[in-house]
Amino acid sequence: MREANAFVVTGLAIAVGLLFGSLLIIVTTPELQHAWAGFFSHPWATIRLNAIVIWGAIELLFTGGVFDPRAVWAAIQHPTNANWTTAVSPISSSLTYATPLILAGLGLAVGFRTNLFNIGGQGQLIGGAILATYVGFTVNAPPVALVSLEILAGMVGGLIIASVAGILKAFTGAHEVIVTMMMNYVMYSFLGYLVFLNGFKKPGESNGVSQSIVLAGQLPKLLGFLNGSLQVNLGFVIALVAVAIVSWLMNHSTLGFELQLVGANPEAARTAGVSARRIIILAMCISGALVGLAGMVQVSGIEVSLTSAPPGATIGFDAIVVALLGRNRPMGVLAAALLFGILDAGGHQVQIYSATNIDYSISLVIQAVIVFCVATPALIVALFRLKTPATAKDALASRGWTR
Amino acid sequence: MKLELRGITKHFGSLVANHNVSLTIEPGEIHCLLGENGAGKSTLMNVVFGMITLNEGEILIDGEPTRIREPKDAVANRIGMVHQHFMLVPVFTVAENVVLGFEPVRPWPILDHANAVRELRETSARFGLDVDPEAIVENLPIGMQQRVEILKALDRDAEVLILDEPTAVLTPQEAEALFEIMRSLKAQGKSIIFITHKLKEVLAIADRITVMRLGEVVATTTPAETDEDALAAMMVGRSVSLTVEKGPARPGDVALEVTDLYAEDDRGLTAVRGVSLRVRSGEILAVAGVQGNGQTELVEAVTGLRPASAGSVSVRGHDITGRAVRVFLDAGIGHIPEDRQEHGLVLSMSIDDNLVLDELSRPPFARLGTRNHRAVHENGARRLAEFDIRAPDSRVLVGTLSGGNQQKVVVARELSRQLQVLVCSQPTRGLDVGSIEYVHRKIVEIRDQGVAVLLVSSELDEVVALGDRVAVMYEGQVVGVVPPTTSREQLGLMMAGSVEEPIGAGSPS
Repeated sequence: MREANAFVVTGLAIAVGLLFGSLLIIVTTPELQHAWAGFFSHPWATIRLNAIVIWGAIELLFTGGVFDPRAVWAAIQHPTNANWTTAVSPISSSLTYATPLILAGLGLAVGFRTNLFNIGGQGQLIGGAILATYVGFTVNAPPVALVSLEILAGMVGGLIIASVAGILKAFTGAHEVIVTMMMNYVMYSFLGYLVFLNGFKKPGESNGVSQSIVLAGQLPKLLGFLNGSLQVNLGFVIALVAVAIVSWLMNHSTLGFELQLVGANPEAARTAGVSARRIIILAMCISGALVGLAGMVQVSGIEVSLTSAPPGATIGFDAIVVALLGRNRPMGVLAAALLFGILDAGGHQVQIYSATNIDYSISLVIQAVIVFCVATPALIVALFRLKTPATAKDALASRGWTR
Repeated sequence: MKLELRGITKHFGSLVANHNVSLTIEPGEIHCLLGENGAGKSTLMNVVFGMITLNEGEILIDGEPTRIREPKDAVANRIGMVHQHFMLVPVFTVAENVVLGFEPVRPWPILDHANAVRELRETSARFGLDVDPEAIVENLPIGMQQRVEILKALDRDAEVLILDEPTAVLTPQEAEALFEIMRSLKAQGKSIIFITHKLKEVLAIADRITVMRLGEVVATTTPAETDEDALAAMMVGRSVSLTVEKGPARPGDVALEVTDLYAEDDRGLTAVRGVSLRVRSGEILAVAGVQGNGQTELVEAVTGLRPASAGSVSVRGHDITGRAVRVFLDAGIGHIPEDRQEHGLVLSMSIDDNLVLDELSRPPFARLGTRNHRAVHENGARRLAEFDIRAPDSRVLVGTLSGGNQQKVVVARELSRQLQVLVCSQPTRGLDVGSIEYVHRKIVEIRDQGVAVLLVSSELDEVVALGDRVAVMYEGQVVGVVPPTTSREQLGLMMAGSVEEPIGAGSPS
């Protein structure tokens, strides 16, 4: 019997997700439905066809999300820009999608570790994006200075929005879930108003679109020397730096310890002379700043201008799941965001290149099943008859989302 | 009904919680199950009640082997259990709680409320357990909630009633009322299994006593054949001293001065009304009183956790009223809080971390905002040995320790700083005999080192054993400060609010 530690559970969750995705492919793909109709006349051929389609989909998920060994081999044999572009294109898309998820996931994880259920990722992300965009099209400065200013602006934007919830919680006890959720709506509406406001709006545009961040303020593309279409940009490096900094914060700094102390037992923290108020406000500020940074990398790295739709669509919500899957640990968040990036990029490839009509939604289902299994480890433990070590019981039992 | 347990063995992984335990409960007896925390009493009873499945052994009811796989089976076999932590729905009425799980319906699925209330009235009349069926449970005092739990079991026709540490949450008066109920149930032929680690209670109420240690039965006896010292020795496995050995106090200057202090409780009602106390270094001032007379609020105000609405707190002449908790700590106030799990410790953190909670951002444990993990661990390893904390390693989580060892962690942390004043509130609540002995010795030790000790306890034994002077609180006021040699009758009267003071003990200095 294997022991049910976090790695085993997560690994099995991914396996269950893929298995479930495969079943869905069998049930929903028109060509396979047709094949099943002839199961009794050609049973072997039917099973073979199913296997081929599913294997093809999983292969595409991998080659489309990570790399295609054939393309890499071709690039090594004939190292032209075009060949290398094909070889690194999948990983570039995955990393691009993962970048804001890493940052926002880190931010929410900091809150969760303090037992603050910040679900206002969307609002804080919009706040960061708005301030970063504004700086990006108004300030005239050399690239390094301008990008640094945008980083600062993005963090301040998210921080301001999140601090509202922190201050209200610290001084009045208002629950952060309600406040952050309401701030989401406030920020949706504010964004919708801004993109039509003269001075912010792109002149001569009838739709709601903001002015664009100047070229100097856009994040340089890391693989731009190969091909301008490879989207992965400096934002990914920023995200990696943030992972390192948050790791240090949570594991080695006194502030990080105080955050976890207040999260684990605010009364004991108070008795030990740690001001829970101060820590709650600080935690929300750090959380918001990181989520705001996610908004900044999304606009200055990818979208360049704002519309009334939140940048990156639902990153602020997806990040909740990333933090949960990563068990609120910085390295875990990084891994979870990368997995989501791969599933997203691969899922698109499956839809485009599969010989049959497999829908992109399959990859969303796989993501959902993985999260479901990780959130209810008891299910995986029972399914695979794992042994629960006495010490891990606490770690595995659902004691709420935030621990 | 006769309940027999034969050769019960239960292990959790490699940990043996019960080993070959045999026990017979005769009809109409009060059978005390005595043992330290972790001796396996609760595990055994959870086996009987079907909350845990046993590994080996059998349960016989009136001589018939019976399988009890879940609480439902236990209830069907007329076994009832009142857990240490009540299993009541706070927002439901008493009647709703009692019928929960066995609701009378008419027609299905509508609750037949009138019938539920009538049924409950009948049961409470039959056993003489008065309670208002329509009262909301969360509004009832603890003693009354416990009565509801007992009614719940009786309403399901329990013949054997298991009471798991029922007196741990009760005031002395409530405990006495509970004993009355137990005696009357016994008179009606019910058997009661009474789990406890309080020796006085055992001798007062038991017909037979079974002592458990480390998962095994070490003795079965009766109150007539034994006494407190013998029981304590059986529980702990060695002889223990139940009296505190301490020399006379050598009081020095006033270290803690509380002047005309007022403080409110959580509901905003004035709970501390003009308390003035002076504690000198090198003496223990013990505060006696029935729980809920403002002691909790007094302790919190003195340690800075609760704002004083009037009056002042000063340490060695420095007025620190209204300052941050940090200032109180820095002034040299140590605090062993009433509820160690809620206020004293972070159960999900290591012993190492818990030992530095109040010093975590100071050298040598941190420098420039960066923690020094090595210094924290070295400190932990040293305190582990110094304070005899029983744990495999100082890196293990505090939540995995027994109650006594958890309290040792709190004591170790507080006594590791340079103290002027030590405030301890119910320092031995829920601890086993061995740990109580240890904590008492430490408190006397710190007194002899010249620290002023303010001890608050609702256990009168503890107050008179440790205190050099005894202050009695009633309804938020100190009704008198008397020597610990004062008679129990006199102290009891004062605890009930009588302000008549014996001559010669008037001034609070």
